[in-house]
Amino acid sequence: MAIRIEPSLNSMILHIDMDAFFASIEQVINPRLKGKPLIVGSRVDKMRTVVCAASYEAKALGIHSGMQSRDAFNICPNLEFVAADQAKYIWTSEQIFELLQGFGFALNYASVDEFQMDIRDYTEPFKLAREIQEQIYANFNITASVGIAKNCPLAKLASKINKPKGVTIINDANLKEVLSLAPLTKACGMAGKTGQILMAQGLKTCWDIYLNLPGFFGADGNPGKFEESSEDEISQRPKSISHSYTLPNALGNPIVISAWIRVLSEMVGERLRRKNLTARTVHLWLNMPDKGDFLAQKTFTMPTNDSYEIYRKSLKLMAGMPKKCHKIRALGVTASHLEYQDYLPLLVEERRREALIKAVDRINARFGDSSIFPAQVILTRK
Amino acid sequence: MNQNSFNPKARWDRFEPQAQGFSPDGLAERIEVLAYFKNSRIYPKTFLWNGKEYNIETMTYNWQESFGQALINYFSVISSGQLYQISFNNSTFRWQIDKIIQ
Repeated sequence: MAIRIEPSLNSMILHIDMDAFFASIEQVINPRLKGKPLIVGSRVDKMRTVVCAASYEAKALGIHSGMQSRDAFNICPNLEFVAADQAKYIWTSEQIFELLQGFGFALNYASVDEFQMDIRDYTEPFKLAREIQEQIYANFNITASVGIAKNCPLAKLASKINKPKGVTIINDANLKEVLSLAPLTKACGMAGKTGQILMAQGLKTCWDIYLNLPGFFGADGNPGKFEESSEDEISQRPKSISHSYTLPNALGNPIVISAWIRVLSEMVGERLRRKNLTARTVHLWLNMPDKGDFLAQKTFTMPTNDSYEIYRKSLKLMAGMPKKCHKIRALGVTASHLEYQDYLPLLVEERRREALIKAVDRINARFGDSSIFPAQVILTRK
Repeated sequence: MNQNSFNPKARWDRFEPQAQGFSPDGLAERIEVLAYFKNSRIYPKTFLWNGKEYNIETMTYNWQESFGQALINYFSVISSGQLYQISFNNSTFRWQIDKIIQ
């Protein structure tokens, strides 16, 4: 069970947000990149990818995460580029998490580069924040910003106010002042369309959100929930399991599109089986550059975690698309209505199928993911 | 791990095969390495590649990745001003040069 720490009057959350995390790690690995505008792209092809992370030097030029790399190079033709290698970022994130655990407070991941610490009743939060920053820098040569406040949303906002290497405390005394100076887009979830809609309605600062959206920053007095991570939580049942992928180029060949659906179905099925879950509902999402999104879902009588079954169900959903074959740019497969697998297959063929799936999973667990995979998947590698 | 929050072990890129193509950076060639092991860490000092010895002056970063039961230790190292990525597989005891970093 998760260890849930109930909010109290003395609640105090310390939010650690790594500064330009991926880009900073790449600059440590390659000292030549230090001090230069750098983007980390999600793909190897630097002109056909999306910016995963930008160094502060690139951010200063107006380059930001989520931007098309082509647009970033238009802003700065001399931009340095590195293709993302998730292994090193995840490893570093885990190492930082371990380091933070050493401080002895309840700790939680907020994302790959953000951590939340419950420091209620601790009397010297500023000193603690500085110590955390120093230890992270000493061990990894990268910097972090820290926000401290009475709840998670405010602490997260505080961590973004004084970047990089900043420490910001939001308390009852400076709440209005800090929030009035922070643009609305600094608030969690407000950087995109939601923020634009609210700005069009006249909301400009985080203080406007505080006044107009009660509860967003815990204005109703609720200091927010904080759940400490524990190994047992891995057994908690998620609501859905999903994988999606944006293709390097829009594809019109239905055989290759089917192969991509197979890949995503394999990923979803493998995760279901790892958690001993089955799904009753399968969702398919296809994005067509010329037609927009196609979304379909269906709930089936028999729950499954067989990747091939999920694939077949996804194909049935795809059959509901408009007849004309469109090019597909992105696609996703989701399994929901999850329940724990509590039945044993009765039919001989079902038992053979289950044995086969287990054997494949064991091979992949021993020799690495995708060591053995359906032949159809080859079509996605050409 | 809190299931409702971020799970770093859920590798979103792990199964996604991308067109590999020819990468001038990708080498994956076996090398011989002189390294010492101290405090549960590995410190490569020199490596021999294509008959030439490379003295490692600086290790800029190191990280690990599990692949099945194998644990791969990666090192970014500088030799004569050039940056290399080398790795050690703890199940096969194989050292290899992964790429020359530009």
